[in-house]
This record gives sequence, C-alpha cells and structure tokens, in this order.
Amino acid sequence: MPGAFRPKFLPSFPLASPRARAVRAATWRTVRLPLFLLAGLVLIDLIVHASRGTFARYAPDDYALKVAGCAQRRPNFVILGGSPVAEGVNPDLMTGLIWHGSPLDSGYALGLPGGTTTDFYHALLHGCPTPPRLLVCGVTASDWNDARNEPHGAYSLMTWADVRKCRALRPDAAWWMTKQYWEGRFARASAVYRYRNGIRLWAAVQADAVWPGCSPATVREARNQAAYDDAIRGGCGYAPASWFVNRRYDLAKAAGDPGPPFGFLDKYRTGSHLKYLDEILSWASDRGVAVVIVDMPVTADLEAKYPAVMGEYRARLAEWEESRGVAVIRASRDSVGLGDAQFADIIHLNGAGAAKFSVWLRDRLAERGGRP
Amino acid sequence: MIFTTPAFLVFLPLVLVGYHALAGRAWKYRFLLGASWAFYSLCSPRYLWVILLLTAIDFAVGKRIEDATDARQKKRWLGLSVVSNLALLAAFKYVPFAYDNVAALARLLGADVPNRVWTLLLPLGISFHTFQGIAYTVDVYRGQVRAVRSFTDYALFVAFFPQLAAGPIVRATEFLPQMAVPPTVTAGRIDDGAHLVMTGLVKKLFIADWLDKLIVSPVFGDPAAFDPAARRWAVVAWAVQIYCDFSGYSDIARGLAKWFGFELPINFNLPYLATSIADFWRRWHVSFSTWLRDYLYFPLGGNRRGTARTNINLLLVFVLCGLWHGAAWNWIAYGFLYGLAMVAHRTFDRAVSGIGWADAVRATLTWKLIGWAATLTIHLAGLVIVRMPSWGQGLLILKSFVPDGSSAGILSGVPIWVPILIGLGMTGHVAAVLPRLRKSWGDDAGAAARGFGYAALVVLLVCFGPGVGQSFIYIQF
Repeated sequence: MPGAFRPKFLPSFPLASPRARAVRAATWRTVRLPLFLLAGLVLIDLIVHASRGTFARYAPDDYALKVAGCAQRRPNFVILGGSPVAEGVNPDLMTGLIWHGSPLDSGYALGLPGGTTTDFYHALLHGCPTPPRLLVCGVTASDWNDARNEPHGAYSLMTWADVRKCRALRPDAAWWMTKQYWEGRFARASAVYRYRNGIRLWAAVQADAVWPGCSPATVREARNQAAYDDAIRGGCGYAPASWFVNRRYDLAKAAGDPGPPFGFLDKYRTGSHLKYLDEILSWASDRGVAVVIVDMPVTADLEAKYPAVMGEYRARLAEWEESRGVAVIRASRDSVGLGDAQFADIIHLNGAGAAKFSVWLRDRLAERGGRP
Repeated sequence: MIFTTPAFLVFLPLVLVGYHALAGRAWKYRFLLGASWAFYSLCSPRYLWVILLLTAIDFAVGKRIEDATDARQKKRWLGLSVVSNLALLAAFKYVPFAYDNVAALARLLGADVPNRVWTLLLPLGISFHTFQGIAYTVDVYRGQVRAVRSFTDYALFVAFFPQLAAGPIVRATEFLPQMAVPPTVTAGRIDDGAHLVMTGLVKKLFIADWLDKLIVSPVFGDPAAFDPAARRWAVVAWAVQIYCDFSGYSDIARGLAKWFGFELPINFNLPYLATSIADFWRRWHVSFSTWLRDYLYFPLGGNRRGTARTNINLLLVFVLCGLWHGAAWNWIAYGFLYGLAMVAHRTFDRAVSGIGWADAVRATLTWKLIGWAATLTIHLAGLVIVRMPSWGQGLLILKSFVPDGSSAGILSGVPIWVPILIGLGMTGHVAAVLPRLRKSWGDDAGAAARGFGYAALVVLLVCFGPGVGQSFIYIQF
C-alpha cells in the first residue's frame, strides 16, 4: 500500500520471491495489532513512570515512605510499632529527652498501620542503616496475633532474602509471605498498575478543577491521601489521619457510632510473630542499641471485649520480659491518665491522647535513661 | 480465575503461545483441552469430576446412538444422557431450594423439620455445559450431526474455556465442523477478537461494575432509603448492568475464541431495541432461547397442538427458563411473567394479523415505539422481581414508576455518572440505528490507532474500574 507505515525491523529483501513477500506481509498484518497494543502499553507505562511522583502522592505507600524517611533522617531514637504507635506517639514531643547523659535530639516514629511484629522487624532492618541510640518498641496484643498477616509488609518492605528467612522462621506464614512478595514485585513491574489508585485520585482532582462537585467523595479521598503523603514525607513519621486526630471515642460512643469493627484480635494465637520480637532484640544487641518495650495503652472496652486475649497477651509479655531481661514500660490508662476522651476508637489514641501519651513516655524514658 | 482477574492475564498468554507454537491439529487440541480443564480446576477445584463424568457419558452415548440400529435403543441411550445431565444439574442447583420448600411445607403441616444449615457450591458452568451435552446427544439422535469419534475433540467442544463458564451454549453443528481442520488465525480474527475482548471488558469492568457500585446495589439493598427518582434510576441502571455484564462476557468469550481460530455464535443482538416480547427473546441470550425452542418447546409440541396447548407450552418453557436462571421463587415469577407476556403477545398477534388496517397500524413507527416501550416495561418489571430483597420492597420499587411528585428532581441526588454510564452502555444500541459511518481500518495506520487506543482503554480499565475480579452475574446461574 503506497505510503503505508512499514516498521524498520521488517527489512525488505529485494531478492525475496513474491510468495515470500506475501507471507511476510500476511505475518505482519497478523501480528501488527498485538504489537501496537503492546507498544502502546509500554509507552503509557513509561509516561506514568516518568510522572510517578505526581501519582504516588495520591496513593502513598506509607510503609515504604516511613522506612525511607527513617533511613534518610538517621534519628537517634526510633519508636517502632503498629497503628497504635503510628497514631499515638509524636516523636517531636519527645525530643530533648536525656538518655544516659546526652540528649536524644531527633526521633522517628516507624509506626506501620495494621502491621505485625514481623513487619516491624523488616521496617527496622531497612529503615535504620545507621543504628539509633535508643529503640522504643510499642507493642500491643494485635501485633502478635498469628491468625493475621499483613500483606503490606511482604509487598513493600521485604527482600527475597527476608522472605527466605521468614519462610524458615515462620513456616506457618511461608506461602502467604511468598505470595505477597511476588505480587508486590509483579505490581512494580508496571507503573500503571502500581500507581493505578494514585492515577484515579489525581484524575478526580483534575476533573474537580474543571467540573466542581463531579465526584466529591473521590476528591475528598484524594486530598486526604495527599495530606497523608505530605505529612509522612515532611515529618518525623507521626502522620495521623485527620479522622484519628479529631475524633473522641467517648462522644462517638454516646452518638452510637463507636467506629469500624475491630477484628484484629479474632482467632487469637501467639508464637510465630513473637519470633520476630527476638529478631528485633538480636538486631539491637548486635548494634549496641538500647531497647525499651512499651505496652501500649488501649481502651477499657477492648479489654472488656477480649479478656482472654488480653490475658494471654499480658502473660506472654511477662514471660518474655523475664526470660529476655528487657525493660518493659506498662502504659496503662491509669498511669498515663487516659480515658475514652483521649482515644479515637477502641484502640487508637486521638490527637490529644497522642500528645499526652508522648509527653508521658518521654518522662518515663528519661527516668530509665537516668539509670545506670 | 474469571476473565477479569489478574491470574487470567497470566493464564491466557501462556495458553495462546503454547497453542500456536504447537504443530498439528492433535497436539493443539490436546493442549487446549488440558488448558480448559486446568481453567475449570482453578475456578471450581472440587468439581472437575462433574465435567469429566458428563463428557464421558455424552461422548459414549453419542457413539452408541449412532451405532444403534433400532429406534428404542437409540431412545434409551438418549434418555441416559438427558437424565445424567439433568440429574447432576438438579442435584447441585435445585436440591437446597427443594429442601427449603419441602421443609417450609412440612412445618406448615406441623412437622418439626430443621432449617438447612448446609449449602452446595455450584460447579463452574454446569447450567451451560449440561445443556450443551444434551443438545449434542439430541442432535445425534435426530441425525443432525455425526457422533464425534475422538474423545479429545468432544471434550474440547464441551470444555473450551472461553465459553465454559457462561456460554454461549454452542451447538455441535456450529463448533465441531470448525475442528475438522487445524484452525487458522488470520489478521481479521486477531483484529475482531481484540475488538470484542476490549468491548466486553469495558462493558463489564467499566459500565456494569460501576453502575452496580454507584446505584444498583445501594438502592436494591435498601430501597426505602431512596426516593422514587433514585429507585427509577436504579432499575434502569440494573437493566443496563445486566446487559453489559452478560453481553460483555459473551463478547470476551467470542473474542478469545477468535484468537484460537474458532467462531462462537452471537448471544446478544441489541435486545433493548426489541419491539415485542417475542422479538426480545430472539435478541437476548440467543443461544439459550434457541436451545429452549429447539430442545424443549418443539418436543413439547410447539404450536402444532392447538391454541390452549401452545399457550401452556409457552408458559412451561418460560417458567423453566426462569428456574434455569436460579432456584428461587423470584426466578419462577420472572419466568411466569415472561410466559404470560408471550401468551398475550401471541394471542394479540394472531387476533389482528391479516386485518388490513391493523397491519397498517402495526407497521408504523409509532406502533413500534409503543411496542418497544411495552417490551422494556415488562423487562424492567422482570428485573425488579429477580433483584428485589423482598416482595414488599419489590412492590415499593415498582410503585416508583408511578409519578407521585415526591422526587426532588430528575437526578434527585443520583451521581451524574449514572446517566453517563447508562448512555455509554447503550452506545451500541444507539449506533445500530444510526447510519453506518464505518471506514476501513485495514491499513497500518488504522492498526496503530486501534492498538494504541486499546492500550489506552486497558489503562483506563486498570485505573478506573471499581475493582478487578468481580464475578460475572451469569456465572452464578
């Protein structure tokens, strides 16, 4: 066809017979559409990859961002834990505490929402290439529940070496970890797939600018995500969602809205995740890092709802404290002075609770740091 | 592992590459059969034996029927095939329903029957491949098709994975002749297949799933919480959702089949342009409605035994049509509604056909529009019946179509995307009544435009679909 596009990788052979040319042309006609489709996908993927910062802002990978932020800041104290730490400890309110004679002037909250002890270890491993002077590990019952595994950890934090170690250490979670790890790897092979949620939210914001009110819920979600991303990138790891900061559990309960159901303590059993608490201790010991364990405060409702679980958890913690000889601070509600007004829901502190608890924790650590 | 899951995106290229890399008909078909059974096993791990058993029975029965010399023997073999297929279908699909109703009846009579605490998972595509098996043995019995002598060929005809889960219900006369020679994949088939697959994916992932999330599920979940305008939008959206969901599946199945060199029959022919209820069933789920006609309505006597018997046959066929869709009283009522509508339509048609002025009126555009509106109204009522949470709530939804001035506006709080998606879902129907504007896309520039366009669509679906992996509605039937 005159003027038709002819790709360079199909050279013309002047000596080829008409039949060979016809076969080549037929082959090209058969494969051209899939090839153009593939080329289109690659091209769009490259464009998205080049603009990944824009899209990533609307769908932050909080685990990876916090680990990167911690590694970059090289803090001299790190507070490690799950969502109770992420929402409930503000390191900026703890800076300046004197630890064995010198101040700890920079802290970072490596709080992983929904994380387990397995994830805490991997965050520490990759987030602290320069060991801090003090590692505060905030623990709570749900971190140790072997009935749950957090996909995000294997997806975002673990290397293949980590997966192999985990398979050996926790055979019960071997298949799950491997699956999540490879899903993470495959997802990262395509920028479109990886940032699909960010692209959706970014597009909603752009559409809202042209056509205000066309998708209010999505735009709200986009703005919350962008604010969350900004908070993680710019701060000390303390980046609570606005929902947690302003909400009061006592008022919410009175209004008949105690919050989303909490199922993280269902089918409770311990043992497997706990192996990673030992790994955290070993890591710290190898690097000369002081470790303090903090039993994080929870509401009275949680303790009433899961008395057996909380009993098992506290018994395990006591056994572990005795056998390892590690310092444990028990941050009960009474000792901190917390009530339902300082919680956002059944387990997470709100903004006021986080401030009060952070100051209380700084004082308790300062007391410990003064001891020989 | 349905078509819209990430796992299928790994499965499909592997099977396509393996199939086209192999040389020779026998190896290609063995490979494709293995892949189809693997697909079945991944979707329905515990039930591979169901399709294997029925395939073996129907394959053997087909040969026995053809080899049998006397009619009674042929009939006995045919009976074995029909009973085997229907027995397994009934066992999996209707036993829980039957138990519930017998138990309820027994309780009414004072017996102490426990509630059912067990349930049965439905094997993948059992409603479709059993009908395909029955059609095959009946066709062999009628002498319309030769019995297949190769087990691989027959098993592939039954288990061919693009149409395994939700049809189209393929006839042996349509599929087996295509298997005689190794299928060739031409540029035309690649292009047409890509077009069908992309169309199907957009219908399912973008239109059907979004409509479900935005309005259909919320409103049908709690109709009383929404005002009449929202309920009306939800019913229309539900009609578009089910069309896009099922015709989307059929489009994907036909497109995938083309990539393997096979043609599957058209299952939907612009059903929402139907101007009568009979016309509707000639356009909606065509492979199923023609199956009912050829293997149920005609054997019952069709229209050859007088008006009363014809009407009973129509009612029976449509009640069974409803029951095929789901073991529930809603579906039986749905079938009964369509049966009544068919009887009414046929009675009216016979009464006025041949009267000059009546024929003239019925040929006008106005009459066609009235017929179209009436057909659509019956269809919407049927769809409300099958999705309503309870009979009371169904009545509430149906009452919404009687204006009472209580709505706050046309949209009445319904997201603007709902009418947009409804319009998008009906694009094919609208385009069909417009003058053809097609131009040739056969050159390289056209292929490039289509290829890049499809790539953009894939990205659109990945980023803006409400959630990959939601099941197709008809897979549950």
